[in-house]
Amino acid sequence: MSLSFLHPALLWGLLAAAIPLAIHLFFRRKPRAVRFPAIDFVMQARKETERRLRLRRLLLFVARTALLAAAALAIARPQFEATEARAAQGPAGPAATVLVLDTSASMAYRLGGRTLLDRAREDALEALVSLGPDEPASLVVCGGEGVPVADPPGFDRVALRRAIAEAPQGYGHSDLTTCVAAAARVLSDPAAAATARRRIVIATDMTASAWRLDAQPPVVASPAGPVRPEVALLDAARGERLGNRWISGLVAEPEPAAGSHGYRIGVTVSGEGVEAERDVPLTLRIGSGRDERMTLRALLELPASGSTRKALAHDFATGGPAVITVALPQDALPEDDALSLVVDVPRDVRVLVVNGAPSSVRHRDAAYFLEAALSGPASPVRVTVVDAEGFAKARLSDHDVVMALDLRAPGPKAAELVSFVEGGGGLFVAMGDDVDPDRWEAETKGLLPAPLHVVKTAAERGTPGSEGKAARLAEIDWDHPALRVFTGPAREGLESMRTWRYMLLKPATRESGSRVLARYDDGAPALVEARRGRGRVMLYASTLDPEWSDWTIRTSFLPAMQRIASWLAGSLDERRSVPGVVGAPRPIPLPAGTTIAAWIGPDGRERRGPALGVTTVTPDRPGLWQVKVRDGATGGERIDPALSFVGWPDPRESDVRRLEPAELTAWFGGEALARVASDGTAAGSRQVPLWSWLLLLAVAAFLSEGLLLV
Amino acid sequence: MLDPAVLARLAGLRLRVRATVEGVLTGLHRSPHHGQSVEFSEHKEYAPGDELRHVDWKVFGKSDKYYVKRFEQETNLRAWLVVDSSGSMGYRGQDDRLTKLEYACTLAGTLAHLLVRQQDAVGLAVFSGEVTGALAPRAEPSQASAVLEVLESLEAGGGTSLASAVRFLAERARRRSAIVVLSDLLDRDEKVLRLVADLRRRRHEVALFHLLDPAEIEFPFDDPTLFLSMEDDRSVEARGQDVRKGYLELLAAWLEEVRRTCGENDVDYVRVRTDQPLDEVLLPFLARRERSAA
Repeated sequence: MSLSFLHPALLWGLLAAAIPLAIHLFFRRKPRAVRFPAIDFVMQARKETERRLRLRRLLLFVARTALLAAAALAIARPQFEATEARAAQGPAGPAATVLVLDTSASMAYRLGGRTLLDRAREDALEALVSLGPDEPASLVVCGGEGVPVADPPGFDRVALRRAIAEAPQGYGHSDLTTCVAAAARVLSDPAAAATARRRIVIATDMTASAWRLDAQPPVVASPAGPVRPEVALLDAARGERLGNRWISGLVAEPEPAAGSHGYRIGVTVSGEGVEAERDVPLTLRIGSGRDERMTLRALLELPASGSTRKALAHDFATGGPAVITVALPQDALPEDDALSLVVDVPRDVRVLVVNGAPSSVRHRDAAYFLEAALSGPASPVRVTVVDAEGFAKARLSDHDVVMALDLRAPGPKAAELVSFVEGGGGLFVAMGDDVDPDRWEAETKGLLPAPLHVVKTAAERGTPGSEGKAARLAEIDWDHPALRVFTGPAREGLESMRTWRYMLLKPATRESGSRVLARYDDGAPALVEARRGRGRVMLYASTLDPEWSDWTIRTSFLPAMQRIASWLAGSLDERRSVPGVVGAPRPIPLPAGTTIAAWIGPDGRERRGPALGVTTVTPDRPGLWQVKVRDGATGGERIDPALSFVGWPDPRESDVRRLEPAELTAWFGGEALARVASDGTAAGSRQVPLWSWLLLLAVAAFLSEGLLLV
Repeated sequence: MLDPAVLARLAGLRLRVRATVEGVLTGLHRSPHHGQSVEFSEHKEYAPGDELRHVDWKVFGKSDKYYVKRFEQETNLRAWLVVDSSGSMGYRGQDDRLTKLEYACTLAGTLAHLLVRQQDAVGLAVFSGEVTGALAPRAEPSQASAVLEVLESLEAGGGTSLASAVRFLAERARRRSAIVVLSDLLDRDEKVLRLVADLRRRRHEVALFHLLDPAEIEFPFDDPTLFLSMEDDRSVEARGQDVRKGYLELLAAWLEEVRRTCGENDVDYVRVRTDQPLDEVLLPFLARRERSAA
């Protein structure tokens, strides 16, 4: 152990300890001479008390000297420094030091009214102050993706102090293993070669997720070869156990039962190191910025550690991109107590149903069943039904999808229909007795996914055994967005469907790009899809009335029709906005003819990148990010809501479980090289402050002096 | 009240004594004249005018000549006032106070005046290291003045040797006498009390006025002080507050020993503080004297 002083210049104050001696020697008060008759008694009393008085005078002298010396020493802030550890580190002398400041998201944890980053800054500044004038230093700020950079160790203390004080709170993940390796590289710089020792001081919260202890520990290159640096870990949490609760998952799925724009919102809440709690409020907010409003409030039962799930339902008023946010009451780490998601709520689909063979008998009218299926209360579809004559007068651009049922042929609307589809419209064609395959082929010229051929009768309906002979669907593409809703027993609704007659299709050419979604059990295509231009065409080989098939009375009919209509309108496209993690670059799916002009963060600040070629955005904080696009043709700039996305906090930062100090020190090379300071005191070696004990001694001396004078 | 502070402002012993006597007489309320007796002195031949009741008829029967008895008026008391005039008696703790010697002289003068007034014989012995002055006891009115004259001339100085005074009295006071000692008893001879007791054993009535200044009793010293002896060249340096407790303990033990020794030897012991009114000292003493005489 060696003794060092924080303010050695103040040791001059120790001269004050000589004041009692000086007073005794030079300023002693001259006694007053008094003639006194009973001098014998005085002499005898003095003789009897002389030993006691001499001892008391000595104690008084010691107490006064100790009082002044202890106070003077305490002002100089002495501390014991462990020298045995230093001896193990090689030669003594000045140390080149790199301060590593952890600014990751978990450092926003509030403990005792202050964030851990505030404490870490304070610790780092104190470590900087404790450096000797001949010890160069540098700083590595560790709070985001990538390898941090730092200057070689230097002596510009002012710049370092400012950099530490101004280091911003990060929202990303810090890989301290990488940062420490970067610090070791800085110490390998020739600028540090003049010093005898290398030291890394790390101010961190010691969360386990920040370290990769399976990696190689840091090594510094020195003229004598690679050496391990001394390491001091300044624990900003002061050894306390940290607990946190956060929203770890948020998904939103369409839920028709909740309404025409209904969604089921699944929330996962995780906790670590906190007590179990009941009736914790969980709020659902819709919208962003000023338009944000709370729509739902649920209560959760949270376990002490682990996860729990909660499902919420919400029916959006309109279609289009919407921001949903779920939030817990704020805890010590508030950044992960709320999570947002951008949901692209499907818009209403306008469908024009063209009934090629209207019937006065409702159950024989194809459009009757389709209109009923599409017009359900939770359906996003708005239906208009016309006959062939009405179709000729209809303006297709007023609709998203045209569904032609038992239509002989498009006739004069054929060209408009082709143009409608290639411009992004949807076309559904169902067969029937009136359909003319040749005219369809001739008028639409490859618009259909496959050319129509002839009608096949699997069994005559109503004849004995026809039920068994009827064709059934097989090879159904359950992964198709329109059919994905059929899972488990719901698939029975399609598989049990019986078809007595259906249109055989000619083999489709490879160029036609058709995709068979379902086949009959004889292998003939039952549902075929193809993309034409920006639109989609779907062909159903049977009828949507009970004449050829009994699909209309199956439970699968209603959802299948709604989903097909939405799919053909393009509203079932995979446009779900996947959240990005803070710090991770995110590619932006730009519409054709546009470029990224700028992106706006949750703080409302607009950021602009290089003028050309930017196709990714890296969110640096959690929340809603909006993208402003520039139209290549007009040069105008606008915010595209469809490109908005949400940045989520890095889940690794929410897990605030801490490493045991012994694990870290072992990784750095054992206690001879590394130590963890939970009292926030500075760096490099084990230091025991003495000033508080000295003040205690001064107080004791003061009290003793008072008692001796009584 | 005969406040010593007031008396101290009176210049001269005589004035102080007169004031004290008047004060004491006022306090006694009774005439001191009583208990007189007549003692035969000689014969003389009868001459006209002599009282016939003094004719000695026995001598006439033997010689047929008329002789009358001549009588000498006998005093009630033969008293010795023994005053200590050693250096220590010159002490006073405050300037407005009487020194112990002045106080003792005032007491002695007052007593002399009172005794002569009641026709007692008063003698005086003054001592320090040795007996430095003496007056044989006389009952004449002029004796009081003679005593005062001696007392006025006293100055404190020298050591204390009560033994020399005792030896002097042993030689001179052959008859049974009343001996009044006025001293601070700060004699380096540890047998001083035994000497006083010896006087009592010689059938004398002994009264001891033990004079102490208040500063000797209270020891009002705090600061570092150089204490100088008043009778020799000894000195000692001490912080008053350091030695006060020990001093007071030693003083109390000594005073108690003096009181106890006097009590055991039937010596009338009167402890006197020099800030104490003189009548407070004298009236109880005189009252005790009257009771013992009766």
